Amino acid sequence: MPSYGADGERYGARRQVGLAVGIMVLALATPYVSEGLQQQVAFTLQASVLRPFIATQRGLTEASANAEQIDRLQAELDSLAGLVATQAALADENRTLRQLLGLAERAGPEFLPATILRPGTPGSESSFIVDLGSDHGLREGAPVLTARGLVGRITQVRSRSALGMDWTHPDFRASAMVADGSTFGIVENVRGEFREQDRLRLNGTAYYQTVSEGARVVTSGLGGVFPRGIPIGTVEATAEVQGTWLKSYWLRPAAEPGSVTHVLVETVDGPSDLSALWQTDVPAPQTPPVALETPRVAPPTPPADPEAPPGGPGR
Amino acid sequence: MSEARVVRTWSLVAALAVLHFFLHVGLGIGREAPDLLTLALLVAARELAIGGAAAVGFFFGLLEDALSVLAFGSHAVAMTATGILGALTRDLFVGDSRLFAVSYFFVGKWMRDLVHWIVLGDELRQPFATQVLAQGSLAAAYAAAVGLVVVVIAGRPGEP
Repeated sequence: MPSYGADGERYGARRQVGLAVGIMVLALATPYVSEGLQQQVAFTLQASVLRPFIATQRGLTEASANAEQIDRLQAELDSLAGLVATQAALADENRTLRQLLGLAERAGPEFLPATILRPGTPGSESSFIVDLGSDHGLREGAPVLTARGLVGRITQVRSRSALGMDWTHPDFRASAMVADGSTFGIVENVRGEFREQDRLRLNGTAYYQTVSEGARVVTSGLGGVFPRGIPIGTVEATAEVQGTWLKSYWLRPAAEPGSVTHVLVETVDGPSDLSALWQTDVPAPQTPPVALETPRVAPPTPPADPEAPPGGPGR
Repeated sequence: MSEARVVRTWSLVAALAVLHFFLHVGLGIGREAPDLLTLALLVAARELAIGGAAAVGFFFGLLEDALSVLAFGSHAVAMTATGILGALTRDLFVGDSRLFAVSYFFVGKWMRDLVHWIVLGDELRQPFATQVLAQGSLAAAYAAAVGLVVVVIAGRPGEP
């Protein structure tokens, strides 16, 4: 007759194996549960266990951005010090900050500034978290911009935060055209062997249309995903010629997602054409005359190319 | 298992997990920071029965999935499988040497990356040679080196 101890051990072992098999089945089923449930689980974990770590990253990002901004402002303040003393400090600082955020000022209240957070875990390289959500008017598909151009779009919106993908995501597509409207196509991400080698390619352009190197490529607004006129990049070289039908071109991206920490996100009431934001004929934000006369602050000279934005698109 | 050993092991597992998320999420460090979460799972798996190791692996995997919009669930599968395999090694190897610990961490981390690569699917994963053989081996060696330091400081997994 077997002892109780041996029976108990066998039962315990069987129970452990059963538990392990059950959890493995649960894990295998996880990728196939509904997207809503996946979001719910992710959001619950982000708002509980992972919250301190996300808050730490947000704090560090803001501190880093503040430090950078202070350096830039310090350089201008050095040259303006004599005149600043005669003016109200708060008003002057406010005006200088608005200069730095020229794009935000031109864009108007339909665009909200946001901070980008990157999880930094494997598999999340092309995604980011934005500290705005549906409470602020964000919607799925909203474009994410910098002064240089398109960074990506919002994919999931929660009440006070949102998830987005940048242009290095395999699913990224944008209906695009050359800035002069002569050629249309689709811009998509082409993954490199390493993530740093990810590139943008303008596909599906007509064979008989030749696009010159350096031509600006912007969103065309076709398809309704992105508003018209957002810079995507500039043409670098011909990528491929398919028979006598199609050509594709490599693009130099306007915005490098890896270096972006602050962005503008379109809200529900955003305009359908954003060309004016990057046009030279848009009146520049009002600048104090003293800033234009100081030697260390470069005066805003009109660029030679009438198509180019003031000083280039954020360059 | 003595109470002191239980406290020591779980303190180590919790510290490694917290440090992992502090480095990867809090400071935003990518591959430059070691995969301490897998190390924590491998340490825990040497102390737990197979069911418990699977549960810890599943929880750790969900935490990583919560930060990824690509292939939700892939980390959960990889970490659960790693936990189960780690717990199974208790019946196969009675490891008490540093060489065993380093090998255990290396193989454990490499297997985790291999399972993750398999679950990711064709559209998201990079070529096998790049992601598993090259990057996976480097990451496994890095994790094993860090695991050796952990073993020296905190004691070997399974050590009384």
